Amino acid sequence: MKNSGGDEERLTELSPGWGDEELLDALRQAFAARRAVPPEFVQAGQNAFAWHNIDADLAQLTYDSTDRTEELVATRAQEEAAIRVLTFTCAQAGLQIELEVQEDALAGQILPMQSAAIELQTKAGTQQPISADEVGCFWISPIPSEDFRLRCQPVAGNAEVVTVWVRL
Amino acid sequence: MRDDPVVIALVRRAAAGDQAAWYEIVDRYAQLVWSICVRFGLSSEDIDDVSQSVWMLLVESIGDLREPAALPGWLAKTTKNECLRVLRVTHRHAHAGLPSEDQMPVDPDAVVIDEEILRAERDAALRAAFAELPPRCRELLSMLMRDPPCRYEDISATLGIPMGTIGPVRGRCLDRLRRSPHVGPFTGGGETG
Repeated sequence: MKNSGGDEERLTELSPGWGDEELLDALRQAFAARRAVPPEFVQAGQNAFAWHNIDADLAQLTYDSTDRTEELVATRAQEEAAIRVLTFTCAQAGLQIELEVQEDALAGQILPMQSAAIELQTKAGTQQPISADEVGCFWISPIPSEDFRLRCQPVAGNAEVVTVWVRL
Repeated sequence: MRDDPVVIALVRRAAAGDQAAWYEIVDRYAQLVWSICVRFGLSSEDIDDVSQSVWMLLVESIGDLREPAALPGWLAKTTKNECLRVLRVTHRHAHAGLPSEDQMPVDPDAVVIDEEILRAERDAALRAAFAELPPRCRELLSMLMRDPPCRYEDISATLGIPMGTIGPVRGRCLDRLRRSPHVGPFTGGGETG
């Protein structure tokens, strides 16, 4: 086992029974450790509870053409690199969301094809409603510049799906 | 992992939709998620990314945690996985090829992560015990915790107690802290009363 030094020593030293000085010192460090965490970091975690009552199934990123782009770049001319495509899959709800990154917009496709109410959510807390037409197509413009995810409520009333966060 | 009844109760309440319990869980364990991200050397942007994912995953699985008492371990493992995910993405975007060895941050080993878990639990227990002390004790200990600690003259003037009693009061306050059910598991005593 590796001993990583002072920190670990401090912990083992204190465990059998704390004297007043040690206890006060441990208390001081407990509050210092808490202060080191930015308030907005805690706030963001607390905000996540908004998702608790939303019975949405999570769609994982199951395909990102960037994973293949590296190989393509190595073997082909750069300009032949494919348009970036992302696929989110929610096996539980049997739903896929594809996103194709175009020049100034994202072209979306829900599979199987169906109309749905979509909400684009950014980490900054903004929400933008988007509709997917009866064949499951939708557009997002402009392309989000920060982390975002999509919440998808199929009109047919199937289970709601939310994608993982993604940054392009 | 100890079966900390406080953690078990918080998890059950949050799973049942109690927002205050969720806030307390985040308040207790933000330190753990944060410290692991820092150990991985993540940028503040990536730390935000990781924490968003971790808390969202917890919100979604809090009702399914098989061992509510193992929450700190669950959080540590999830945070570590998310850190590795974010690092892979960052490197993929930053470099056309695979990152070289020296570009990859050091992956904190399991010992370091376990240490962070233990520390986060202990710190949370100390803060919880402190919060339950009488107001006078909290005031006094807060003044003594400052760096550098307040002088006894100032404490005496602020709290309106004779200098000679500060030492004994301090001892009694720390003793209450030590005997708190929160702190018991860490002092090896676990006394009640």
